[in-house]
Amino acid sequence: MSEVKKLRVRLTFPQELIKEPVLFRMAKKYDVMPNIRRARVTDTFGEMILELEGTETNLQQGINSLREQGVVVELIEGDIIE
Amino acid sequence: MKYVKGLKCRECGREYPVEPIYVCEFCFGPLEAIYDYGKIKRALTRKTIEKRPKTLWRYKELLPIDGEPQVGLSSGFTPLVKADILAKYLGVKELYIKDDTVNHPTLSFKDRVVAVALTKAKEFGFDTVACASTGNLAHAVSAHGAKSGFNRFIFIPASLEQSKITASIVYEPNLVAVDGNYDDVNRLCSEIANKYRWAFVNINIRPFYAEGSKTIGFEIVEQLGWDTPDSIVVPCASGSLLTKVWKALKEFKEIGILKEVETKIYGAQATGCSPISTAFKQGTDVIRPVKPNTVAKSLAIGNPADGFYALQAVRESGGAMEDVSDEEIIDAIKLLAKTEGIFAETAGGVTLATYIKLLKEGKIDKKDCTVLCITGNGLKTAEVLDGKTAEVYHIKPNLASFEEALSMIKQKGGK
Ligand SMILES: Cc1ncc(COP(=O)(O)O)c(C=O)c1O
Ligand SMILES: [Zn+2]
Repeated sequence: MSEVKKLRVRLTFPQELIKEPVLFRMAKKYDVMPNIRRARVTDTFGEMILELEGTETNLQQGINSLREQGVVVELIEGDIIE
Repeated sequence: MKYVKGLKCRECGREYPVEPIYVCEFCFGPLEAIYDYGKIKRALTRKTIEKRPKTLWRYKELLPIDGEPQVGLSSGFTPLVKADILAKYLGVKELYIKDDTVNHPTLSFKDRVVAVALTKAKEFGFDTVACASTGNLAHAVSAHGAKSGFNRFIFIPASLEQSKITASIVYEPNLVAVDGNYDDVNRLCSEIANKYRWAFVNINIRPFYAEGSKTIGFEIVEQLGWDTPDSIVVPCASGSLLTKVWKALKEFKEIGILKEVETKIYGAQATGCSPISTAFKQGTDVIRPVKPNTVAKSLAIGNPADGFYALQAVRESGGAMEDVSDEEIIDAIKLLAKTEGIFAETAGGVTLATYIKLLKEGKIDKKDCTVLCITGNGLKTAEVLDGKTAEVYHIKPNLASFEEALSMIKQKGGK
């Protein structure tokens, strides 16, 4: 069993994905636990600030699958390299 | 004397004690330093400020430290140059350059934020400071950290240009070049910051670090004879500097140093990395992260942490944002040098070029008194001008050869 890690991310959903349960599906498929802290959803845009908990591999695969579906996944602290 | 009350989440308003933390545990919003303005109002007046040494620490009550300043004791209070020649060239009434190309000791506005961050790191009892940077921040942390006796870890992407590496490694920090793309380095640094008890200036010390940028705003007001300009143009990477310049003006009003603040704040970006100005122009609050592609490397932050707050500041003040091409940036660097004798790095080119664009669009009035924040020195990015400068006259070591060149210069209308 590899170590469980936590990752704080911001997800930005394009319009066509707002009504889809993309996060839920990803969480189930890759055994990643999402812990939602903040969300803003309008008709044209959705943003979610959350913590994802899972093994390194599962987190990576889960994030990759979100990205493949068109969700923008970023560290919530923004880019750290100045 | 303590003037800082604590830290406060910018999203949900929860308050925290003064500690090396940077995000709210509940909503992951960013934390910001909050002050006891009543107490500051009694302690800090124009007169007290004027009696102090000409450094950024003359406004120390409005900075998030508990004791006396310990780092960057000669930083800040850079010249505010009245740019009459440039003003005439552009046909504007009153123009000033806030010249942080000569900030001490590493020639950019990062000397301000790092002076505050490392003083705070001392107060917290850290022995090691760190940052992830591709330029100005690396230079400032390396230099100030050396002078104040910290162990230093500087993380850079392995692909960084040699000139930038030299300007950091000369101070002999532990310079760590990370193999990987930009996202990899970002991710790694946030992981390292969580694991080691180090003062990562732009991660766990960020709420304190960022406050240092306010001093540019304080100085502009003082140097204008305790007055505000009509407009200030600020370059944006993470958006922190712009947010803090606006906060500085509001704080001066809060403590009674200014009666009114009617300054409009304008944000400047390079088109090749313009997530904030794009959101402004589209009229949304949504900052879409981008992959940077511009000569203005010091502003190349694709996922700006304070972009949303910068947008708010610009809108609240009645300003605007614009972005400019690499060509406009280079032209502006040259224009600033040949008119005002100031050699700025690419971020300065972005600021001036954006100002020119905003004038053309009628978004800044030619009758305004405007201040341009020129935040870094051109010698740091001199290579961007390779092949783009005026020509050099090569001659033989004799008078005839010189006079031949002279007649060529005259033919071209040179003086
Ligand atoms: C020269 C220069 N100007 C301006 C900025 C913008 O700073 P901020 O990230 O606060 O928007 C930077 C930041 O890296 C910089 O190096
Ligand atoms: Zn919060």
